[in-house]
Amino acid sequence: MFRRRRSADDFTEEIKSHLALEADELQSEGLSEEEARRRARVEFGNAQTAQERFHLRSRIVWFDNLLHDIKFAIRQLIRNPGFASVAIVTLALGIAANSTIFSWINSTLLDPIPGIAHTSDMITIMRGERSEHPTPPFSYLDFADLRDSTRTLSGLLAYHDEYMAITGSDKPERVYGAVVSSNYFEVLGVRPILGRSLESTAPNERLGTAEAVLGYGLWQKRFGADPSIIGKAIQINLHPYTIVGIAPEGFQGCKSGLRSDLWIPLGMDPQVWGGDRIKYRDALWLNVLGKLKPGVDHHQAENELNILMQGLAERFPDAHKGPNMISSDPLWRSPFGVNVYLYGTLPILSALALLLLLLACANVANLLLVRSVTRRRELAIRLSMGASRRRLVLQLMVENALIALAGGGLALLLTTWTAHGLSAFLPPTTLPLTLNGSVDRTVLVVTIIISLLTAAVSGILPALRASSLAPVSALKDEALNISGGIHKSRLAGGLVVGQIALSMLLLVCAGLFVRSLQSEQNSDPGFDPNHVFLAYFDLGPMGYSRAQGIEFDRQMLVRLKSLPGVQSVTLGDFAPLSFSIRTDFIQPEGYVPGKNESMEVDRGVAGPEYLRTVRTALLAGRDFTDSDDASARPVSIVNKALADRYWPGQDPLGKRLQVAGHWTTVVGVAANGKYRRLVYDAAPLVLIPMLQSYRSGQILYVRVAGDPLSYASSVERTVHGLNADLPLFNETTLAANMRLGNAFERIEAAFAGSFGLLALILAAIGVYGVVAYATKQRTHEIGIRMAIGAGKRDIFRQVLGRGLRLAGFGLVLGLMISFALTRYLHGMLYGVGTADWLTFVIVAILLCVITLIACFVPARRAASVDPMQALRTE
Amino acid sequence: MPSQNNPDDRIALLQGTLDLLILKTLVLGSCHGQGIARSIQRQSEEVFFVDHGSLYLALQRLEDKKWISAKWGVSENNRKARFYSLTAKGRQQLVEKTSEWQRLTRAMGLILDGRPSSEEA
Repeated sequence: MFRRRRSADDFTEEIKSHLALEADELQSEGLSEEEARRRARVEFGNAQTAQERFHLRSRIVWFDNLLHDIKFAIRQLIRNPGFASVAIVTLALGIAANSTIFSWINSTLLDPIPGIAHTSDMITIMRGERSEHPTPPFSYLDFADLRDSTRTLSGLLAYHDEYMAITGSDKPERVYGAVVSSNYFEVLGVRPILGRSLESTAPNERLGTAEAVLGYGLWQKRFGADPSIIGKAIQINLHPYTIVGIAPEGFQGCKSGLRSDLWIPLGMDPQVWGGDRIKYRDALWLNVLGKLKPGVDHHQAENELNILMQGLAERFPDAHKGPNMISSDPLWRSPFGVNVYLYGTLPILSALALLLLLLACANVANLLLVRSVTRRRELAIRLSMGASRRRLVLQLMVENALIALAGGGLALLLTTWTAHGLSAFLPPTTLPLTLNGSVDRTVLVVTIIISLLTAAVSGILPALRASSLAPVSALKDEALNISGGIHKSRLAGGLVVGQIALSMLLLVCAGLFVRSLQSEQNSDPGFDPNHVFLAYFDLGPMGYSRAQGIEFDRQMLVRLKSLPGVQSVTLGDFAPLSFSIRTDFIQPEGYVPGKNESMEVDRGVAGPEYLRTVRTALLAGRDFTDSDDASARPVSIVNKALADRYWPGQDPLGKRLQVAGHWTTVVGVAANGKYRRLVYDAAPLVLIPMLQSYRSGQILYVRVAGDPLSYASSVERTVHGLNADLPLFNETTLAANMRLGNAFERIEAAFAGSFGLLALILAAIGVYGVVAYATKQRTHEIGIRMAIGAGKRDIFRQVLGRGLRLAGFGLVLGLMISFALTRYLHGMLYGVGTADWLTFVIVAILLCVITLIACFVPARRAASVDPMQALRTE
Repeated sequence: MPSQNNPDDRIALLQGTLDLLILKTLVLGSCHGQGIARSIQRQSEEVFFVDHGSLYLALQRLEDKKWISAKWGVSENNRKARFYSLTAKGRQQLVEKTSEWQRLTRAMGLILDGRPSSEEA
């Protein structure tokens, strides 16, 4: 419809021909040639008007107007580069804050498991009390029964993630694999891009077939995207497998934020794991994902599964002594994967970003108000020339939209960079974390929408104000500058009060988050993370048997201990505060669990001198030694929390404690420590010796004098002296490694903090702008006052007073809003209350000082006005 | 003489009526704008005053609706002119609009005179 159907020239031509024909006819009726031509023209009426009307009809008028408005707006903005760039940058910062957070929400909460077909129909299932780190809910047998009898789910799949290694070449490659049920890919709706999925193992799921589907990334990286790889053999943990398929790009498994590199059938678990847990109904190791049938919601599915589970518990009571209650969640807040830590954090950050954007809008609105006064003449002329008020408002709004879109463009540029910022908070880790935002179409569209909303919010009031002037008085009365600014400055003042109140709220939130992080980092983790070097390795893929592995460990510990500067050395299958500790079921001697009480506690496998190396206080008994091996009686060390819970008032030393089905004797009691997150209360923990409960994947702890990383090369040399091919990965320090444990608190504090800082700057600019402008407008008045005897001090005090009065209103309003809203942060703060008076006071003082500084400059300028000059210039 | 009538006695054409008159004029054969204007004026015994600007816009409108088609040609007296002719769709519209118009005038006649207007009879 924008295209013109017929050229204006053609139309003109037709009118010419009409006039000629009419003249001919008139002439034939007896008029002279000249008279005929004149009459024809008169008869036709105004040919120009006809052409104009043709033009208006043939194009859509508003489109023409819009084009014109845009051109005009661009000219206006170019003419005022200072105003334009300040406004654009201000909005860009506000918009970028929002688009960055949104890019993260978009790629985590909105797309929790990338690459699957029906995200909103999928549910995750958890067993027992709600927890941020739930253990897998089902045994294989329970899973199979549930899968076969459910009527609310159209499919139920099971998976278990496990480190694996691709062996068979010189250097084994550690990968993050999953053993999965035969219906895994079908339920997810993921079709391999090459080959097939694992459904062929369905008839003998428990026995398994040695087949593997490779992840797209692994296929690209390790196999050079070779399409003929299908049907070829690869070695996983020293066993041969046939590659049957390649997963599509983007699909990375069933846990949010964690990547799987390959998938093999459930039945192959004994080869990977070394045990046959697939046979037992009381071995809980499978995570599941269900797909809801159409029209069923996740509560209905939850109810059905609970009934089914109840039936299983009645049929097999011995295998269901723990908690049997089942709860389900939609994927976005799945407790399996990283989303569980993000779904509370990101919406709060999003709210803070929105506040920041509001502040930016207020600043730009102020700028626009100021500008509309300087443009009063232009607008008045246009009004009196016949422009409608609607047209003027539209014109001004087009300008605002251009500013906001330019800001949005700049923000998008920033976002392409900041979207990747999420991973910057994560220290190097062995976890296959794939936490990142990216700028995709959704982010683009949302950013544009945010920009346009921004234009509307910041621009509508100033535009209405600017266009509401009476043209005659505006043109006539240049002295308006003295008296006419009053209601405008009241609006500006209101904006400043709002700005200070909003920035107060933002700063209080920032302060609370920062204080919470501080008290978290100052809290005692229960060990000394300084001066400890860490390195990860895995003997399994190197072909070590259990006995060989234990022998390797012994020799390595002896050799490392003799290195100069090394104080003590130990091993563990976990490192504290890095999401690596696992759990086991225990049975303490003399303790009778309640019905359905969960006997699952944190369990670590630790080498000799573990407590000494990490400097956890030993409250009673002894540390592990190198004689706690397979030939000695099985022992364990418990922490105080475990002893207090199961043996209150008794001496735990010498008590018997069953861990994962094996009886041990407690030989030591350790002080409580934090193993998952610093913000959690100390949880019961049991340690068992590495030399008795061997694990092939281990973490080496070396306590040294001085900088731990400076020992990297000598540790490597020593280990490679025993096996030159053994890869040591993720060489780091205990202190750096535990940063993973509070990554999300650091994200909150960093963002709330920087938003707070930006808010402070915006508020300062806002106050300065309004006070400076009001002062400049009143130069004439100040001149008169001084001329009739006011002193410099009076003027100074008056200007400063006005600024401070605004600040005072803003602070009171801000305090009220903050008190009302910060309680929503409850549960996200550690060691600090939501109404922490210290934070409130500091923020209030900070804002007062900033306002004072912002008012000081214009006040001084006002006081130094030369009255004669001021009166003359008007 | 071209138009003896006082311009004040002329009746401005209602929107829509002009369309109908154009279609009716073109039933007789293709014609250019000036011819159409003359024809309408003459046939209405100079009662209707055809505003030429409106006429050409109406022609454009009808062309857009594909009721008439246009092409450049040469008039009897060798002038270049844009000739309009009725399309099949336009012919059909003419029938519809005519009966619509007759219903309207009949209704108007009934109200104003208490009997159907003379044209109907």
